[in-house]
Amino acid sequence: MYRLFLRAIAPATLATLAFTSHASAHCFVGSRFFPATLNTDDPCVADELSLPTVSRFKTGDIPSATQTDISVDFAKRITENFGVSISTTWTHVAQRGNPSASGFQNLETAFQYQLLKDSSRELAMLAGVSVEWGGTGAAGVGAERFSVITPTFNVGKGFGDLPDTVRWAKPFAITGQIGYAIPTRSSTTDVDPDTGEITVANNPNFLVYSGSLQYSLPYLKSNVTDLGLPDFINHLIPIVEAQFQTPVSNNFGTGIGTTGTINPGVIWAGQHFQVGLEAVVPVNRDSGRGVGVIGQLHLYLDDLFPKTLGQPLIGAASNPSKISFGK
Amino acid sequence: MRCINLLTASTFLLCGTLAAHAHATLDRSDPAVGSELRAAPHQVTLWYTQKLEPALSSIEVRNSAGERVDQGRARVDPSNHSVLRIGLKPLPPGTYKVIWRVLSADTHTTQGSFTFQVGDR
Repeated sequence: MYRLFLRAIAPATLATLAFTSHASAHCFVGSRFFPATLNTDDPCVADELSLPTVSRFKTGDIPSATQTDISVDFAKRITENFGVSISTTWTHVAQRGNPSASGFQNLETAFQYQLLKDSSRELAMLAGVSVEWGGTGAAGVGAERFSVITPTFNVGKGFGDLPDTVRWAKPFAITGQIGYAIPTRSSTTDVDPDTGEITVANNPNFLVYSGSLQYSLPYLKSNVTDLGLPDFINHLIPIVEAQFQTPVSNNFGTGIGTTGTINPGVIWAGQHFQVGLEAVVPVNRDSGRGVGVIGQLHLYLDDLFPKTLGQPLIGAASNPSKISFGK
Repeated sequence: MRCINLLTASTFLLCGTLAAHAHATLDRSDPAVGSELRAAPHQVTLWYTQKLEPALSSIEVRNSAGERVDQGRARVDPSNHSVLRIGLKPLPPGTYKVIWRVLSADTHTTQGSFTFQVGDR
């Protein structure tokens, strides 16, 4: 029975998992540094490691289950503009009246290409495809036997090009991601081990979309005005992330609606790593109950190993032979 | 869990041992970022978080008309390779923009800009 319960929540969670993976890029675009956000992938390919990302929240089931996820994500540039990432998540689910379950979610990989980095406009765009490989995780925690392929598009925009009359707004930046999650099986058939009842559940296609609004105190200090704040404060980036997933086809009879969370928090960005901590606030009852939490330690491999692991595998990062200034 | 603890500890050790390598970001400047000065400065000095490659690190200072008002060549301080400075021509009251681009010793390029004001706004 418990497995059937997990099967029921899996379509809703798979889109979430697809979205929370591979948040990984040491992303400088002109004067702007986009930190690696915890739920929305940032708009750059890079060499980075999230180790670990830990989240704890109550699911939208009745009664709610308490889910703890610990994930690891490794991103590597193959060329200057093309990168791959691989991630895995260990999940523990505890629900009153049921035995707890633990295990790995399906392995995920992503392939990403840097479409644009416009320094003067602090604008970056990225296209990619992420794949959740069905059957590589534990069914006991809801990992599906089918794969899910999600083409994605990411964008990031800093507001450093605003006029000086609103210079206090220059440290603002936004990032966004949109994807379309396509399961490789349109439905899943299950047999209840207790009653022998056969159930067929549709696996909807999901539109997955997320974004972040961030205010960079490092940008404020280096590009707008140095207020003489303590060094620790000058490394903070207050942020609000939001992520949603909406079933858009093959949804008949599933009872699945739009789910999502809004995550206010803060990122401390240092020279070699960053630490992020956010609250996880579900947008409706189907998305969860109460306020959860997510935290991440994120390492910049291009700074830790600048001449080895931090370089693209094919063709080292190009560096200018002459300094030039863009207008 | 023990494995994760070990990995985390190892990572922090790596961060410590490799602290000389990273993107060079602006730590502070003179004139300060966004400052308003009564007297015109004679030079701009920028302090970075990392050592710089002297040949590939530079500064431009421009007035509100976009004309260069610096003396043409930024120099890394020979006694402190994380400090870059450039001389200025005599500056009348106005708003000036400092545009910098540097290459850190580990080959990462970073850039930025800021303004300062001379005289009353």
